[in-house]
Amino acid sequence: MDSSVHLDNVVMNFGDFTAVQKTDLKIESGEFFSFLGPSGCGKTTILNMISGFLDPSEGVVRIGGESMVGVPANKRPTSMIFQNLALFPLMSVAENIEFGLEVRGISKVERKKASDRLLELVALDGSGNKKISELSGGQKQRIAIARALAVEPQVLLLDEPLSALDLKLRQRMRTELKDIQRKTGITFIYITHDQGEALTMSDRVAVMSAGKLQQVADPITLYREPETEFVASFVGENNAIAGTIENIQGNMVTLECGINGKLTGRGVGQLSKGQTANLFIRPENIQLGKKGDMVFNATIQEVNFEGSCLTLNAFISSGLSVAVQIATEEYSSLFIPKASIQLSFMSQDAVVIAGEEHV
Amino acid sequence: MFSQLKARFGSSLSIAIIAIIAIWLVGMVILPQLIMVDYSFRPNLLPKEIGGIKDTYSLSNYETLFSNDIHLSIFVKTIWSSVLVAALTLVVSYPLAFYLAKVATPGQAALCILLLIIPFWINEILRTFSWYIILAYKGPLNALLLSLGVIDRPVRFLSGDSGVMVGMVYAYILFMIFPIYNAIESLDTNQVKAARNLGAGWIRTHYRIIIPHAKPGIATGCIMTFMLAAGSYAVPALLGSPGSRWFTQIIYNWFFEGGDWNQGAAYAFLLLLICIGFIALVMRIFKVGLGDIAR
Amino acid sequence: MKSETIMRWGVRFYIGIFFIYLFIPLIIMGAATFNNSRFPTITPWKGATLKWFEALAQDGAMWTALWTSIVVAAGVLVVAVPIGICCALFLSTVQGRGKVFLYSLMMSPLLTPGVIVGISTLIFWKGFSVSGGIMLTVIAQTTFISAYVMLMVLARLQRFDRTLENAALSLGASQWQAFRRILLPYLKPAIISAAVIAFLQSFENYNTTLFVKGYDTTLTVYIASKVRTGLTPAVNALGLIMILTTVVIAIIYELKRRKEMTQLNTK
Repeated sequence: MDSSVHLDNVVMNFGDFTAVQKTDLKIESGEFFSFLGPSGCGKTTILNMISGFLDPSEGVVRIGGESMVGVPANKRPTSMIFQNLALFPLMSVAENIEFGLEVRGISKVERKKASDRLLELVALDGSGNKKISELSGGQKQRIAIARALAVEPQVLLLDEPLSALDLKLRQRMRTELKDIQRKTGITFIYITHDQGEALTMSDRVAVMSAGKLQQVADPITLYREPETEFVASFVGENNAIAGTIENIQGNMVTLECGINGKLTGRGVGQLSKGQTANLFIRPENIQLGKKGDMVFNATIQEVNFEGSCLTLNAFISSGLSVAVQIATEEYSSLFIPKASIQLSFMSQDAVVIAGEEHV
Repeated sequence: MFSQLKARFGSSLSIAIIAIIAIWLVGMVILPQLIMVDYSFRPNLLPKEIGGIKDTYSLSNYETLFSNDIHLSIFVKTIWSSVLVAALTLVVSYPLAFYLAKVATPGQAALCILLLIIPFWINEILRTFSWYIILAYKGPLNALLLSLGVIDRPVRFLSGDSGVMVGMVYAYILFMIFPIYNAIESLDTNQVKAARNLGAGWIRTHYRIIIPHAKPGIATGCIMTFMLAAGSYAVPALLGSPGSRWFTQIIYNWFFEGGDWNQGAAYAFLLLLICIGFIALVMRIFKVGLGDIAR
Repeated sequence: MKSETIMRWGVRFYIGIFFIYLFIPLIIMGAATFNNSRFPTITPWKGATLKWFEALAQDGAMWTALWTSIVVAAGVLVVAVPIGICCALFLSTVQGRGKVFLYSLMMSPLLTPGVIVGISTLIFWKGFSVSGGIMLTVIAQTTFISAYVMLMVLARLQRFDRTLENAALSLGASQWQAFRRILLPYLKPAIISAAVIAFLQSFENYNTTLFVKGYDTTLTVYIASKVRTGLTPAVNALGLIMILTTVVIAIIYELKRRKEMTQLNTK
């Protein structure tokens, strides 16, 4: 069954304000796809367009190849999990799960079978008669999932469902969600501002900012090969050193960074000499000493112990602070503020993206 | 607006909602008032004469009031007495409202409020009737005063307006207490403490800090009490005497004894205008807007 | 500190007097029921008796009036509660410039003196050849009682989480199903409260009913007329029964309301 979702050149305007700029995106059938971005970037708007609670100002939403123009929310093959879960407080757990089936006229016997099966799927067997108020946060999550799955949707839409949970619970729910998606094969469309969530669970992620898709790729590509400044800085930790493009050789670009010297990295997109650009290098790719081909001096600002690793913040020549991640074993008592150290990185690991000085 | 309704409830339910609201608003709220005002400008005619040559618009029904000394004096007395009732109720209620809002503990306040509300569930007629018994010539109040030696002979409380006014204060006191209570409650108690700390006496504290803050509540209370008093029929009917008729009683007579509904409508409209005028006046004096007067 | 203590006792005295002032009339009225005196009073006390209850029970006109009151109140319930609910649904859904105006319009019957509501209804329906009676009383009372219902339902409606409706829709429910299965059950407590209040408001109404009752009489009007003509402690007996009934209902209602408030605050 084709459960793909195609946003065919959709635009969403609210009066003068453009919440979502022209977007053409195809989400594959059975994919776990996430929209990642800060508040107000337009991801909720996109979800509402897919679910049918909003009609696009331009363009067409297609689900399973069929146009959804004129199809209201309650008739689409989608099901949604809301941020506040929206479980019906006056109904029991089983009644909540069975609600979607009840409104379709399914018989009581069939409904009971379905809710029993789903309660087992979310590991809450036998909780059918409980009241919603008796459930914990994690349990409510799972009931919300069960309820949404009961109507056997082609596409499941999830609106930041884990944001209200504490860290450990969130991590556990991530694995459970991924598990359920694999088992049911339903297309999951997930929106979140938490990149850890998006990266661990998704097959592909669309990074969004100010109504525009910045980059759509699988998590590893997003991390290693960001295509825009936003993606480079939003996804994971990244250091940015500003400069002017001096030389381009193949896909390696050399930046003249003033007092920070000349630094080389992989270029992204169309670049030309004289352009201002930023060189992005991740903390874990910077090492102590001269191992990499890009070497520079720095003064230690502070050392933060983080359990499995250390983060060293150091001032480079221009006064900019860079973060360096090193293994705990490499710790030396010489790492005190104001001490001088030598740092280096492989130019292969750095990415150069055009733009003004990144702050 | 219809589309907003339709989006939430679907077409059929939305149509039903709008239809029901329209029937109520138009058929029971707006049209009857308009017809009443229309009536007030037309003369009292036999059914067959309606729509004929005699059916003209004029102010004659209104002129009747101003040319009839008795009616006019009752009209003025009603307004003036209603103002007095409002003032009296305010004086009696304010201390209690302040006490409940700022002095009593939450538990005490809750209990007091419960005790206040309970009598008010009881019929206005019964509550007024109970005053009738107390104020009677041979009733308990006279008996008490006589036995205490305060008076030599029983007082006729039930003739004249004083009985009526006392009854009204009793009947409408809750409508004054609650708005003021709500208003004072929203005042940050620290402001009161600050004023006292700076050396202000209680009177000044009330005058400069508490009352200004409570203005919307006081305004609401005065408006409600005035309107209830001016438009009251039950209390004057039960506690008044033929010599102390209330304007509402005159209106009633036009309908059911004088048989001149048009005249009655004019008098009724005047009463309505006075109420609206009073609201506007109070709002101006207290400098509060419509939005502040929320129940 | 002496002035503080004086003030405190002064306040207590005032509160005490206030509540005595509030309750004494009712107590005296109740006590007078049992006084074997032709005129309702407690002074002079002529001996305790229950005969006035008997007199009340035998008062045919009273029973008729009671029945009329019940019929009218039932009629008002049937008409005013749906109107009030519709108004509340409308106000909580719609945004826009006309809204404030419509809200004021809907509240206006509450601020209009009762006699005027009665008069305008009487005059209006005369044009349709409908004169005073039970039906006209129902119409006149509905005019303002609907607004009370609206206020009570609206208060609860405004605390409703509308994403619940969206959740129902996303599960495939029609708008009608979402309304009936999600919103209406939520409103039930408020609707019941509003119905109780509507019934009581109708029962005790005097000013408006007086003008539209025609030849029928409601219990409240009956009591008032008896006070002026033919007053005996039988009226007290009726009053006492009504007071006790009302107080019981009032206490139950208030306690329920407080319980619901605390429940909502702890969630």
